Amino acid sequence: MASVRARRPPSPPPSIAHPPPRFPPKAGHLDADARRAAPRSLARPRVPAAAEWRVLAVLLLVGAGVRLFRISSPDSVVFDEVHFGKFAARYIKTRYFVDVHPPLAKLLITLAAWIFGFNGHFEFDDIAKPFVDTPYVAMRMVPALMGLWTIPLGYLTLRMLDCRATTAMLAAVLLTFENALVTQSRHILLDAPLIFFTALSTFFYVCFATENARRPFSEAWWTWLVLTGGALGAVVSCKWVGLFTIALVGLATLRQLWILLGDTRVSPRLWIKHFLARALCLILVPLLVYMFIFHIHFAILQNSGEGDGFMSPEFQHTLGGHRMDDTYADVAVGSRVTIRHVNTQGGYLHSHPHNYPAGSKQQQITLYPHLDENNDWRIINASSPGDPYTSWEGHPPAYIPDGARIKLRHISTAKSLHSHDFRPPVSDVDFQNEVSAYGMADFEGDMNDDWIVEIDGSAARRLRTLRTAFRLKHALTGCYLFSHKVKLPAWGFDQQEVTCNKNAVRANSLWMVETNWHPHLPANAPKVNYRTPSLLSKFLELNSVMWTTNAGLTERHTYDSRPASWPILRRGINFWVKDHRQVYLTGNPLVWWMSTAAVSAYVAVRALLILRAKRGFRDFENTKVVKYDTLCGFLFLGWALHYLPFFLMTRQLFLHHYLPALYFAVLLLCAVFDFLTASLRPVARLAAALVLALLVVWNFAIFSPLAYGLPWTKAQCRAAQWRSTWDFSWYAALSSPSQYLMNLNFTPPPQCRLFRRLRELRSQRARNAPRIRRPRHHRRRRRARARRRRRCARADGRRRRRDAGRAREGGARPRYFCGGARGEDGRCGEQCGWGGCGGWRWRWGGGWIEGGQRCCGWRARQRRRWWRARQPRREW
Amino acid sequence: MYDVSSFSIAAVGILTLFAFFLRFYKINHPDQVVFDEVHFGKFAAHYISREYYFDVHPPFAKMLFGLAGWFVGFDGKFLFENIGDNYTDNHVPYVGMRGLSAIFGSLTVPVVYGIMKECGYGTVVSAFSASLVLFDSAHIAQSRLILLDSILIFFMAMTVYSYIRFRKLRYRDFTAEWWGWLVATGVFMACTWGSKVNGILTVFAIGAAVLVDLWDILDYRKNESIDVFWRQFTARAVGLILVPFIVYLSFFWVHFTVLNRSGPGDTFMSPAFQESLVGNELLMHSAEIRYLDTVTIRAKDAKVYLHSHPEKYPLRYDDGRISSQGQQVTGYGHADENNHWQIIPTKALPETGRGRIVRHGDTIQLLHVNTDSVLLTHDVASPLTPTNQEFTTHPKEDYSRYNETLFQVLLMDGEEGSAWRSKSGHFRLVHVLTKVSLYTHKGQLPDWAFLQQEINGNKNPNDRGNVWFVDEIVQTPDGEDVLNRQATVNTPNRDPKPRNFFKKFFELQGLMLQHNAGLTASHPYASSPLNWPFLVSGISFWTESESQKQIYFIGNIVGWWTCVIAVSVYIGIMGADMIGRRRNVKAIPHSVRKRLWNSAGFFLLVWFIHYAPFFLMSRQLFLHHYLPSHLASTLVAGAVLHFLISDTVNTPISAKGHFTPLRHRNYAEIGYRGPIILGIWVVMLLIAFVYISPLTYGTPGLTGDEVNARRLLNTWTLHFAAKNAGQV
Repeated sequence: MASVRARRPPSPPPSIAHPPPRFPPKAGHLDADARRAAPRSLARPRVPAAAEWRVLAVLLLVGAGVRLFRISSPDSVVFDEVHFGKFAARYIKTRYFVDVHPPLAKLLITLAAWIFGFNGHFEFDDIAKPFVDTPYVAMRMVPALMGLWTIPLGYLTLRMLDCRATTAMLAAVLLTFENALVTQSRHILLDAPLIFFTALSTFFYVCFATENARRPFSEAWWTWLVLTGGALGAVVSCKWVGLFTIALVGLATLRQLWILLGDTRVSPRLWIKHFLARALCLILVPLLVYMFIFHIHFAILQNSGEGDGFMSPEFQHTLGGHRMDDTYADVAVGSRVTIRHVNTQGGYLHSHPHNYPAGSKQQQITLYPHLDENNDWRIINASSPGDPYTSWEGHPPAYIPDGARIKLRHISTAKSLHSHDFRPPVSDVDFQNEVSAYGMADFEGDMNDDWIVEIDGSAARRLRTLRTAFRLKHALTGCYLFSHKVKLPAWGFDQQEVTCNKNAVRANSLWMVETNWHPHLPANAPKVNYRTPSLLSKFLELNSVMWTTNAGLTERHTYDSRPASWPILRRGINFWVKDHRQVYLTGNPLVWWMSTAAVSAYVAVRALLILRAKRGFRDFENTKVVKYDTLCGFLFLGWALHYLPFFLMTRQLFLHHYLPALYFAVLLLCAVFDFLTASLRPVARLAAALVLALLVVWNFAIFSPLAYGLPWTKAQCRAAQWRSTWDFSWYAALSSPSQYLMNLNFTPPPQCRLFRRLRELRSQRARNAPRIRRPRHHRRRRRARARRRRRCARADGRRRRRDAGRAREGGARPRYFCGGARGEDGRCGEQCGWGGCGGWRWRWGGGWIEGGQRCCGWRARQRRRWWRARQPRREW
Repeated sequence: MYDVSSFSIAAVGILTLFAFFLRFYKINHPDQVVFDEVHFGKFAAHYISREYYFDVHPPFAKMLFGLAGWFVGFDGKFLFENIGDNYTDNHVPYVGMRGLSAIFGSLTVPVVYGIMKECGYGTVVSAFSASLVLFDSAHIAQSRLILLDSILIFFMAMTVYSYIRFRKLRYRDFTAEWWGWLVATGVFMACTWGSKVNGILTVFAIGAAVLVDLWDILDYRKNESIDVFWRQFTARAVGLILVPFIVYLSFFWVHFTVLNRSGPGDTFMSPAFQESLVGNELLMHSAEIRYLDTVTIRAKDAKVYLHSHPEKYPLRYDDGRISSQGQQVTGYGHADENNHWQIIPTKALPETGRGRIVRHGDTIQLLHVNTDSVLLTHDVASPLTPTNQEFTTHPKEDYSRYNETLFQVLLMDGEEGSAWRSKSGHFRLVHVLTKVSLYTHKGQLPDWAFLQQEINGNKNPNDRGNVWFVDEIVQTPDGEDVLNRQATVNTPNRDPKPRNFFKKFFELQGLMLQHNAGLTASHPYASSPLNWPFLVSGISFWTESESQKQIYFIGNIVGWWTCVIAVSVYIGIMGADMIGRRRNVKAIPHSVRKRLWNSAGFFLLVWFIHYAPFFLMSRQLFLHHYLPSHLASTLVAGAVLHFLISDTVNTPISAKGHFTPLRHRNYAEIGYRGPIILGIWVVMLLIAFVYISPLTYGTPGLTGDEVNARRLLNTWTLHFAAKNAGQV
């Protein structure tokens, strides 16, 4: 990396006579000039010493403890496990699906699930649905292990970037105790693999760059280069965010090439060799990896599933359950055909015995994506003499040439495709006409049933199944049969609208005969079927579908956020709430804010340096400045490339999209630490690192119940709410640990001694407390409170009885207005009871408790809890 | 030899003459409203009739049109309602207004010539750039109509010209001449920005050039003392920020001063703004609301009425939640009996007099007249938005839930005791018990509520959907006429209330930004920026079926493609030069390279800044948005032509200062190739222009086959094309 080193002044010229050295140099010792002149291969490779490997092993063990702690809990579906768990099930059942992310991470999760015997029957329908018969721990282990290995990668990357071991250790600790990374890697989600591969690519690239400075085209050089390419392929196969990693490596490579270009000792031939090697390994290899992953994806998903509708007919034909028998190649008068719309995935020209509610009120024409008898039409020659609907039967089959005038007969309802001067029901504009099915069994119909076939492309002379696309022009009004991605309302069963359009876009007015059967054609007449698409065309099609789907994800989500709020950790994401426990994605604020500060500090210092250079200060001739500038510049570029592009995206964005950028920000933070402590003694540096690490661990401990979904008390929860925008629901927590014991749904794990001990202490204290008669005004107040409590209880009872009555009538409990989060069962979290105490409002924490929660103050609440705890256990 | 001044003057004279001829030729055709004349003609008419209108573009160019219209005697009665409305029948002196546009369009040509000349290019090269604009069908089509672009482009070219003059005086800084061109740059910049919103890109372009310039001045090798930098910086801040801003403000000052009557733009503005206009609805029809009046209440943004009907909320929603099963309260877009609400007092009222007026902060009940029930909200989740409260109604006689039916009227910017007025009194309706505000948003309820809009209680008091106003007082308890009542009890002053200019200015600016971003609806002739330089598709401005005439807005294909090629050649040259210098190959002489970087580089910067931002915009984009960029690309084309035909440059071109070292004067030798290339190009441009001219001038009419022949690219969507077999 560090290729720009300021030259130190040369040694005194040889002409000056030196006195003999006092300490003659050892054999093989080189002075500074000799070292610089010596071949580059002699420079010491930066390989960690043996002791460091031991440190690394310890860090890895600690990391495993943090990442894998109670990974089996929660034993129900968390957040986007809904999607990615479901996709694993689809893979196992080989049912085709479409997702916006490339398949590698999902395939890895599926592999784990398959090895541990997942049968794919569990549907990951809803968040907090308990797992049944699912090896979810094995599935979660995939991201967890990848998250774990990210820690040593961070360490090694910094070491290869010429940072000190202390700094690298600090980085490992920061990555280990980062709540968001922990939370994200403990569940079946794609981000942990993504970050792992990002870290891996960065590490490989840094190794490659180091090797490049020493011995280009050596075996190690090639190895690192190919590995970088492979890792880049893997990262982009996890999520398209991986493209940013490719951009990082690409820009850094371009910089290498630019520097090489400026080195006149490198001949153009050698430069081209450098260029081709990089192009091969950093463009071709990732592309091949990416395509290979898709090859596996297609190889597994053999059967039709919920994703079929996104794909073209050719593609669908390759899926089991959609394969079609060969069909007659030539369409003739009298053929029974199904007609598919070419440009949209709306399906087949369809009609059914339901009428339009407005306009002509004739029978509906729609597009319908599934096979059905109502998709069958008979092609009739409109210009034949006599009754056109029967006259064809006596004659040998006549083909349909370009320009033929036809009628289309809907077979099951015996009506013809018809258009007239009515506005269509949804696209109510001047240039569109309604299309309907019209006619009776023995009515010949009118001229509005006539359509002219215009075959698309001049090569084909007559209409053929599957091979020719055609347009249908209405003979009288000159409009074209047309469909677009507009759905009819409920009366049209949400099927796609079909109209007759006078200014039709060509693509949306193209149709194609998909199946064709004719009674008079011999069995050995030429037949056709869909052409099987090649892997490449399937790959391209799926990628374009992913792109459009991804761009279409613009609707809002309750927990989505805009990129500007990420570096300041404005708000997290609620992953899971159940049994008064919560999993909430939030970062370690200390790590998060310090890393943001480091990034801003780098930008500020760099800007200052540029300004100073402009005014003639010679900072960039200082070796230390150059070293840290190169190092931090690379990490900053990584951060910026993984963060800034999100500002251009209009789709739904979440906090976890910042995590790859956070990885670089943490490394940058450590680099800044390295710079700041450069002049300290090693012990002092270690001490500083230790203090930082301890602070970070302390921060982690505060928020760890959210990462692991552990019980915590309301007081702890409220104390952890440092910013008012952090909306973890502390009213979902209970107020003391012992209450988690009373909760029926929570069985304390055997190792959980703390709770038992607390309960014992509590009952002991109750037994030992001496009975003291309290002063009279106390007693009076107590009696008043008791009265109020009874009143509350009565009100509670009334309300509860009313709800129970409603529930008996077949409804669920009414959903009362909640101040904030609800439990997964739709109830408000444990608030201040079910009201009835009148509209008291209490100042609590930093503000008022929102309207709608009727609270009676902490004393009354405590007492009510005390009272309730002595009631027989029941589900309230 | 071509660079003697008499030759130059002759060249610029011929160019200008041609420009006037081509732009004024048959300017009276068509005598119908064409394309956006619908808007800009109408705005000019509003200036003459002094009625307030609202538009997303700043007013300077439109005021010029208004001035031109007034000058030629337009009375402002004709309102340019539809494309194709006839001017002659309506006696509109439209030629005068189009003439203004044509004058500016014609003057652009000599300005382009001047820019090139001032930059040190020879007469031939300058004429080349100017003729690329001169014979351009797009520039001509745009400047023959009442459209803003020709004015925008003229001032943009003037800005560039003055900046170059200013920059050439850099060795004579702080002289009168230097200040003059600096301030001229600022003023023209303001005119550009004041003509059209995209004029701000010119501000950015000049801003970027100034930053580069300042960065150069900051260099310690140029100026030992930092004071020099600060002086230069301050001068530019004054000339290029302060002056333009004042000029820009003055446009708006004139705009507000001229438009002092109520007009179609009223409804966009705040009530306080509207009340500053003569004869506006609010002053005329706004009345104080009294208790027991029956009113209709309307949402400010969504424009739906507060509505209720006897149907109940369904017991259970699709997602399994349960409602209160109370009567539905919805938002309904049309006037209806069910929108009537009566204001019920919660305190004792005097029989008559001012005590019956509802004031800011009063607590009221709202009685739905048709179902005789009062509005209520309670902590049941609303149908679509579970975090908000459901609104329903409760029988009037049943007092058991009286407390839940109380609402407080909070006027926006209301003070203690200010009266609640219809039309102008925007208010929030806050539930006394739970503090939620009556709120509506775009969410449509399912079939059970007849697809009407959802109404619910919002906890966030600052949401935009919380603001409502009383549309109309339908009926008063004693049946008297509302306006007369007001006249007797409280004679309001029907004179407009003055409002601070800056308040008006900032309100209008905010609205312009907001509406500009909101122009995202698709338009059949909107196109994406990537297509523009290649002329992939144009815009159909006007058609006339009987004579098969049409105006199709499209550029001169020879000229535009020359520009595209020139820009790519320039980028190629500079790229190759950078790589070459990296390898220590210095192929281009120093002075030529400097000219390429500084002069052509500046043109490219102008081109880029007028073009690239469109890629980031999500609003409707049209080909004519590229015209300023096209002008910059003709400048690049001239510079590239000069580079290709000559190894030398005219130096020095900057004015000599006291401390400038003496340099030899060099003349660029362009030989015989220059005039020949210019001649060939002019002929080619002319042929292409004449061939397309029936589409540019809209006359003569073309037969189907002729139209087909003029469809040079198959992506052009011309009208009246003959059908042939290959194309459908």
